[in-house]
Amino acid sequence: MILLGFMDDVLDVPWRVKLILPSFAALPLLMAYAGHTTIIIPKPLIPYVGLDVLDLGWIYKLYMGLLAVFCTNSINIHAGLNGLEVGQTVVISGAILIHNIMQIGASTDPEYKQAHAFSIYLVQPLLATSLALLAYNWYPSSVFVGDTYTYFAGMTMAVVGILGHYSETLLVFFLPQILNFLLSLPQLSGYVKCPRHRLPRFDPQTGLLTGTNDGTLVNFFLRLFGRKTEKSLCILLLVFQAIGCCFCFMLRWILTGWYK
Amino acid sequence: MAARKRASPNNSEKPSRAEDSSKTAAKSPETPPSDPPIAPPKSGFILKLSICFLVPYLYLINYCYNIDQELKRSILINAGLSLAGFFVTVRMIPVASRYVSRRNLFGYDINKKGTPQGTVKVPESLGIVVGIVFLVVAISFQYFNFTADSNWLVEYNAALASICFMILLGFMDDVLDVPWRVKLILPSFAALPLLMAYAGHTTIIIPKPLIPYVGLDVLDLGWIYKLYMGLLAVFCTNSINIHAGLNGLEVGQTVVISGAILIHNIMQIGASTDPEYKQAHAFSIYLVQPLLATSLALLAYNWYPSSVFVGDTYTYFAGMTMAVVGILGHYSETLLVFFLPQILNFLLSLPQLSGYVKCPRHRLPRFDPQTGLLTGTNDGTLVNFFLRLFGRKTEKSLCILLLVFQAIGCCFCFMLRWILTGWYK
Repeated sequence: MILLGFMDDVLDVPWRVKLILPSFAALPLLMAYAGHTTIIIPKPLIPYVGLDVLDLGWIYKLYMGLLAVFCTNSINIHAGLNGLEVGQTVVISGAILIHNIMQIGASTDPEYKQAHAFSIYLVQPLLATSLALLAYNWYPSSVFVGDTYTYFAGMTMAVVGILGHYSETLLVFFLPQILNFLLSLPQLSGYVKCPRHRLPRFDPQTGLLTGTNDGTLVNFFLRLFGRKTEKSLCILLLVFQAIGCCFCFMLRWILTGWYK
Repeated sequence: MAARKRASPNNSEKPSRAEDSSKTAAKSPETPPSDPPIAPPKSGFILKLSICFLVPYLYLINYCYNIDQELKRSILINAGLSLAGFFVTVRMIPVASRYVSRRNLFGYDINKKGTPQGTVKVPESLGIVVGIVFLVVAISFQYFNFTADSNWLVEYNAALASICFMILLGFMDDVLDVPWRVKLILPSFAALPLLMAYAGHTTIIIPKPLIPYVGLDVLDLGWIYKLYMGLLAVFCTNSINIHAGLNGLEVGQTVVISGAILIHNIMQIGASTDPEYKQAHAFSIYLVQPLLATSLALLAYNWYPSSVFVGDTYTYFAGMTMAVVGILGHYSETLLVFFLPQILNFLLSLPQLSGYVKCPRHRLPRFDPQTGLLTGTNDGTLVNFFLRLFGRKTEKSLCILLLVFQAIGCCFCFMLRWILTGWYK
């Protein structure tokens, strides 16, 4: 993914190709995946499905591929402010690590613990190197991260979610990215006119950003909370990301025993 | 170093990022007129070359040796995928050339300076296309290899990770133009997955004549073996990189060596009864067939006169792939004899590379636009040495001469192995 992301940054590939690059990058995972392709049916649904464990087979691999495409591209479009891309990765990585440790601590199944340990072994380096990048990319940015970074971070998180077998939890950590994606759908699908950059409008006199009518979380927050400086808006969005992660932990706690 | 001069940075447009809302992707009225498309591939030449190789190769696989069905099926499936890779690469190189040229990744052919062709912008770094198609073919193949077990998967994926890492570092080098000291150690980084994941034996078989002196017939080198693996990777990549400068030389030498590797692999599989030994050579076949196929596709455009240049991306990728298969197939000494011209070139280059003798930016021969002939300079490269030895030549005939020399070196290796059978090991 890093190779394809860097190639994209250098050659500026068309967006249709951008969309499918993660599918190619996910190929090694899909081809080499020898783990189980079953899912555990949530307890309330067991009477309707009739099984407690369902083997999805190739559909599971399709899901893996789509998750990779989603994670990479959703981070890529939830961007545009100094420090937003790296910041969201740092917040989600932190939440992932806490989740992993909690699961290792609370479990007795060695295979389950290995899966979460696997995830830790990849997310700790991600978090550390991302913090280093954030040191230069935080407002005001000395460097930009490029698609190389967003694709790399998205793929790493998709991979650990898949191989750690906690992809539904990962998706709840990605709540702001999902919201951003849903808000963006009308423009991405072409239903509504989509400009090259869907950024807020910057006013050099006041130094404040004003939300446009583009369908992104950044603009939505500006329309909701009024004009803000770039830095405070970014902090607001990252706090929202963190709240989303806490919400996920709370949800898991409430639904323990009831869900699985 | 390749025969090209990188375009100067002050006439390239620096891409601006989010701030510059006036820059649109392809719809901007300031976009310069698109560059002319590159010349069509030299399909006839490639077809002839392929047939030269395929006939003996297919004969060896199907008739000469009695290879077991499962293995033969896997090899042929891999060959089929490689063939598909060939066509995809041929299709994608012109597409990629447009993107690469647009981003100012091009060069001028120094060996045509003074002629009209010396002013044509030749797209660089097309090794990226070869690398990506190779990876897709190699990754997809493991799904079809029914003889795979988990150990094989680990080794195979470690090999692919090393090759992929090398393509990344090679492409990064082409784009960012890293200093040569960094260039030297890039392959060590790229070889890390292999070194870290290598769980095979680290023993070497002592050649029979030396056994009385060493006292052992098998010697366990431990970490020294891994050091050797790392150094082999650095050597293979850089030696191909410096034995360059003529249209089609880098890809040509890779094609010749790959062909020799495949023949060697098939011969060893046919002549052996040890399943582990056969698996090691099959492993090598599974990676070299796609390398050969995609390289032939690139050669179709890179052969004289070159429509595209391959960049360090290609030379590093090819060198790493061959080092990896040599290591994991356990035939690295044979591989080194295949690399004889590269070794000679390296030895000839040592005085200049070490700084003992003054080393210019390009150690290319001198081109005379009037006659179209190259004259050897006093630089220490095999290219110049051949010119000093054989007199002035055109670029194409010199390249063919060097590739024939490469092929002779490979034949010499086969002969050497045949003569020394039983005596050496």
